[in-house]
Amino acid sequence: MPVFRWGHAWQAIDDLEREVDRLLQGVGLALHGFRIGRNFPAVNLFEFEEEFLLTAELPGTRPDDLELTLASGVLTMKGERPVPEGVADDRYRRRERFRGAWQRSLSLPERIEEEQLTAEFTNGILKVHLPKATEVQPRRIQVIESDD
Amino acid sequence: MTNGSDLMSSDANPAQETDNVTPAESPVERRVFTPPIDIYETEEGLVLCADLPGVSADSLDLQIQDNKLTLFGRVEVSLPAAGQSVHEEYEVGDFLRSFILSDDVDHDRIRAKMSHGVLEVVLPRTTKADARRITVQSD
Repeated sequence: MPVFRWGHAWQAIDDLEREVDRLLQGVGLALHGFRIGRNFPAVNLFEFEEEFLLTAELPGTRPDDLELTLASGVLTMKGERPVPEGVADDRYRRRERFRGAWQRSLSLPERIEEEQLTAEFTNGILKVHLPKATEVQPRRIQVIESDD
Repeated sequence: MTNGSDLMSSDANPAQETDNVTPAESPVERRVFTPPIDIYETEEGLVLCADLPGVSADSLDLQIQDNKLTLFGRVEVSLPAAGQSVHEEYEVGDFLRSFILSDDVDHDRIRAKMSHGVLEVVLPRTTKADARRITVQSD
């Protein structure tokens, strides 16, 4: 059961996972380690008192390759993963990484202060800070004791 | 590219330092994932690319022992703890993958770089000695 095939000319790397795949396939564990069949990019959304924080795994993406838009409570991310230039298809021995153009849209649970959206990129992880609109933030109302 | 000091301090978890802690306080076991890779051939040899989002050059451990190349990328979690998860598509964990290199790879000239969460390892082929012509002498 050959899972992967290498170039006949030069078998430089043999992959330990060939064995691992065979052992784990029956119980479906390989799927877990591999995180197969996911959206690209995978995103997480967290809620804080004053903002939402969206994180996305975008390895290899530069801020310039990314387009972020927010309209009517829907955040849209769009980009393209660069491929190494001048590498013909038949030179690939293994291709598992996502390639090409991608787009994702997410509806946000609450109104967002669209002007104050900020984003940062660190080691291929995108973080988008989405401050909640002021009217939906919990506000403390001071109760004054009346004299009468 | 911020890495505020408040985030850094949360990494220094004192529970991790002590062995005799109650189970409730022991650190959460970290997940380990298999990163997706590409491998392609070049004139020089092979290039291996691995997606390691959240891993920096400092948190990556790339080792060759005998013929085994192992990459282990530790993901630095820098999320404030107060947040509540609303939507989750990925779990945070570290990345681990191993490969067996053949003798055709020149181990001494292997080089690697991390950029934007992608590891690129160049595995040059050993430069084979040029074919030698053997002169046949006649008597």
